[in-house]
Amino acid sequence: MVVKHNKKSMTGNDAAAFAALYAQPKVISAYPITPQTTIIEKLSQYVDDGLLDAEFIIVESEHSALAGCMGAAWSGVRTFTATSSQGLLYMAENVFWSGYGRLPIVMPVVNRCLAPGWSIYQDLQDSMAFRDAGWIQIYTKNNQEVFDSVLQGFRIAEDKNIALPYMPCLDGFVISHTTAQVDLPSAEDSFNFVGEYSDPVIEVNTEKPWIFGGLVGPEKFIKDRTDLMEAMERAKKKIVDMNKEFGEYFGRTYGNGLIEIYGDDVADLTIVSMGTIADEAQDAVDVLKEEGLSVNEMRVRTFRPFPEEDIVEFAKKNHKLLVIDRSVSFGHAGQLRIEIEAVLHRNNVDTPVEGRIMGLGGEDVPFTKIVAAAKDALRSKM
Amino acid sequence: MIEVIQISRGGSGGVTGAKILAEAAIMYEGLYAQAIPKYGSERRGAAVLAYVRFDNKPIRIHSPVYEANHALVLDLSLLDRIDISTVDKEGTIVVNSKEVPESLKNSGRKVAYVDATGISQELGLVLSGFTLVNMTMLGAFVKGTNIVSIDNLEKAIVSFWGEKRAPKNVAAALQAYEETKVVIA
Repeated sequence: MVVKHNKKSMTGNDAAAFAALYAQPKVISAYPITPQTTIIEKLSQYVDDGLLDAEFIIVESEHSALAGCMGAAWSGVRTFTATSSQGLLYMAENVFWSGYGRLPIVMPVVNRCLAPGWSIYQDLQDSMAFRDAGWIQIYTKNNQEVFDSVLQGFRIAEDKNIALPYMPCLDGFVISHTTAQVDLPSAEDSFNFVGEYSDPVIEVNTEKPWIFGGLVGPEKFIKDRTDLMEAMERAKKKIVDMNKEFGEYFGRTYGNGLIEIYGDDVADLTIVSMGTIADEAQDAVDVLKEEGLSVNEMRVRTFRPFPEEDIVEFAKKNHKLLVIDRSVSFGHAGQLRIEIEAVLHRNNVDTPVEGRIMGLGGEDVPFTKIVAAAKDALRSKM
Repeated sequence: MIEVIQISRGGSGGVTGAKILAEAAIMYEGLYAQAIPKYGSERRGAAVLAYVRFDNKPIRIHSPVYEANHALVLDLSLLDRIDISTVDKEGTIVVNSKEVPESLKNSGRKVAYVDATGISQELGLVLSGFTLVNMTMLGAFVKGTNIVSIDNLEKAIVSFWGEKRAPKNVAAALQAYEETKVVIA
């Protein structure tokens, strides 16, 4: 049975803050940065109002913000923070430390481009720079999915079989500061879904002292990294299961949790993208279909772990992919395109891939631009 | 889908007004809606854009409004910042003005105008020297368009501001709703 919801109107950052409030973390350690600021403003207000029984650690930098979460995670409690852009970069050492250290921290990244030039607008360059940091990365398409993904994140990260930090990404301003409808479950139903963090993946125990982050030789080191790769592989199934379970409980799913297909199963062209561009691309698909063109869409929701099998299966039966990236790996191409080409090649799938970089530095990507890009891709013979 | 472009001066409450308008539509009108503030390095007094969308199905568009159905102008001196030719011919230009603005006279455009600054100042809606015309202009918007009812706007204002701070804001919206003149210029 699907639980009752209240229709609400809120920004994407409010949605993230609500999900965090409902999950009742014990420690929040955070530093403000545009456009993430309103998430932690709300949470500090919840703590101050007595709605949230959490230790709110006010720190002097993002590096310390995540360090606070790491300490909390080691002590076996639920923990939350959020950041953006330069803040995420400043946090870098600890981002990798918490990924490779398997700490179940939930940290929304409100996507904002990286300087220079100085800008506060959205692209995915910030979180993409951390694709190798051992974090699960989810790219959301709207305010509702932000709430849903943050809530799911605690369950995924805190599963002993997974034990990975979780980064739900939301486009700055376009989601973070835009007011839209969110169907909000009750605090009680939300907490029932998330549950107590009663069986910590890691815990300081003074009866059984041990060393965190001690010196290791290659053998132990390689075992840790192999374990991490295997945990990422298991996380795929966990994300799929969580999407399903969430659907049964709350009545909403996002594709299979890893990818989401829109339109026909087979088309002349498949638009592939992430985040809000992928949501807007659905309108583009409708416009193109009305014009008699055969176009469908694949939204990559989960970028880490990368859903190789699902992408390959869909790409195999389709004729051409147009991958839209909102970030660049300089010296190569858009990261999403690079990875899609890699998995197709590895699986001997010869569906052609064309790439477009769009929306850097907050450039608007209206569906009309996506329509034009799709028509170009349909015309070009490759 | 109905799309609105709003222009205001930083400090006059435009971004909050757009948010409350979307809330009125979502919470009380049974519509899907979106309010997008266009942030930049704006400070008090600078021109600030915001966009509002309404639809009877979920909205998947996230980009700014390029061709609005209606325009909402909170400061008369910013009217020329909006390219009225991109606004739907059948739509309404809602403007904070004591009369039909000079540039719209004999334009054949539907204009809803009200002296929002006067109403807000009369009600004491002034903060740090800035006259808060956001709620006042929402009253004018409701009168000049047919999307959100005045009752539902009132509910949204009360819900947003809370019982203590709502009365002046509600009074501003109601008075503007009464005093707004809708004409074909």
